[in-house]
Amino acid sequence: MPASQQLLLAATLIFVGALVQALLALKAGAWKQARAQFVLMALGFALQTGFIYLRGEEVRQCPIRSLPDILVFIAWSIVLLYFLVGPAFRLSLLGVFTSPLVTLMQGMAFLSGFASYPPKGPINALVELHIALALISYAAFALACITGVMYLVQERMLKRHQIGGLFYQLPPIQGLAHAIQRMVRLGLLLLSIALGISFALHLPMTKTGHVVFAWIVWGLYAVISLLMWKHFTSPRRTAWLAVIGFILPFISLWIVTHA
Amino acid sequence: MPEPTDIRSGLVCVGLNYKTTPVEVRERLAFPEAQVPAAVQQVRGLPGFEESVVLSTCNRVELYATHALPSGKDGHAALREYLIDRFELQPEHAEALVLYNLDSAEAARHLFRVVSGLDSMVLGETEIFGQVKAAYKVALDTGTTSRALNKLFQQAFTVGKKVRNETTIQRGSTSVGSVAVDLAEKVHDLKECRVMLVGAGEMSRTCAQSLLSRGAKSIIVSNRSYDKAVELATEMKGRAMKFDEWEHSLHEVDVIISSTSAPHFVIRPEQIDQVMRKRRWEPLLIIDIAVPRDVDPAVNNIEGVYLYDIDALQAIADEGRRERERQLASCERIIEDQLEKYGFLKPGGNGGGLKLA
Repeated sequence: MPASQQLLLAATLIFVGALVQALLALKAGAWKQARAQFVLMALGFALQTGFIYLRGEEVRQCPIRSLPDILVFIAWSIVLLYFLVGPAFRLSLLGVFTSPLVTLMQGMAFLSGFASYPPKGPINALVELHIALALISYAAFALACITGVMYLVQERMLKRHQIGGLFYQLPPIQGLAHAIQRMVRLGLLLLSIALGISFALHLPMTKTGHVVFAWIVWGLYAVISLLMWKHFTSPRRTAWLAVIGFILPFISLWIVTHA
Repeated sequence: MPEPTDIRSGLVCVGLNYKTTPVEVRERLAFPEAQVPAAVQQVRGLPGFEESVVLSTCNRVELYATHALPSGKDGHAALREYLIDRFELQPEHAEALVLYNLDSAEAARHLFRVVSGLDSMVLGETEIFGQVKAAYKVALDTGTTSRALNKLFQQAFTVGKKVRNETTIQRGSTSVGSVAVDLAEKVHDLKECRVMLVGAGEMSRTCAQSLLSRGAKSIIVSNRSYDKAVELATEMKGRAMKFDEWEHSLHEVDVIISSTSAPHFVIRPEQIDQVMRKRRWEPLLIIDIAVPRDVDPAVNNIEGVYLYDIDALQAIADEGRRERERQLASCERIIEDQLEKYGFLKPGGNGGGLKLA
């Protein structure tokens, strides 16, 4: 196994470890904004970064052109955003909900297999920026999805009067609802910039499937954002939209990279 | 290594608390805060005494001291006499005075349990930790502690933190008021939380006070007797509202505490449905303390509305108490381990229980 994949395997195991540690701490009632959780997530992130660097060296270009590499890049972006927005939104437990998704994405990347790339063409910085921003926006939508799950869990416990261990650790649902909105807006902003760049690149929409899908994803999240902004629906429904909505960008990655 | 030997032989604790002494006696024997510095000096000034700390709260009065007297019993007797003299107890009261007399490992165990909230009326409460810290600081500032008590109290604070960090003894709510606060905190940011009392019963007053003490932003009080609403609103620095007006302001508040004596539902789904539209689906917590209930249970089916009646609140508080009781054995185990670690107990040993005299 190449060194890059060894790093990725180690990162995946650490994210699994972070999840197990968090679940055990929650079960024992000893969850205290777990410093251990933060350290494990940071270690996993460092290993992910190491993978992306080594993988870039292997394929002699930015490793975001095959499905497994894209999945890892999004997983890396999710953890990056977790560190950036988690503390700002005071989203305790975000790591617990993030690590399963990151593990799943990296597991799928392993199952797909890391193939070698076609010969390197001339590097266009705008193209690289366009792709990277689009993928980071997908990570923001993924975090909106994770926060949506947290909202739905907390909402269910409040409605059913299930006041237990997890209840005390999750943030107020009002804060979660606002966090979902901010994540969706952040993702939409990044995707808008990425699509704006595609105009500058004069990419013909009909011949570039990923741009078409990116526009569909943009349209979906624009509608979700509008619904949230104008309060057309309840926060519970918008949380569901954020959760279910992420299926589209997730599937589009598959279709685009296999087309 | 001489310190543990000294403190094992010369440490005493004499005290009374809510379990041993009724409130009418406790209030007579309480040290006013301003007089504690003088009290610690008086205790240390007793013949044969070296160090002292006085802990005086609404639930307990305890004197911790080290001495060089021939036996612990002499130390207990001297402290008992001090309390009787200090509070000028009549002979019949002095004779009836029930104190616990602890020394060495028993005294250390007791202090560790107190700091950890295991000896408190509300099991696992955290306020006592700060009260012991404050008592120790007074003694430290007054100069009545030295190496032995400094070490003991630092150990006690370490044990208290360990118990809280390694168990869930402080988690959950044990009273209806604290359940209301916990729920409000999980729905809203309390600092932005606006509360409305519909009816001004004692229980709703308690809940509202709990919310205000934890930082709730504002309060509106509405009651059939407007004078009573004004009185309560003034007490809570809130706003009074006539009883026929409260419905119009429902959309402005985040928590409704209802406790009217109406024989029928006063808050109905169709009202709240309108309110939620006006609130643009911002979550609303409704606490219904009234019996018979004020709020139609169907209100809980409306999106964004979380309804808790008195039984639901009580069930959560009961579960909180049970959860804390389940943690008790783990807490005691930590304390015994720490007593061993600090040399108060031999491995597998037992320092004995509480002795009343």
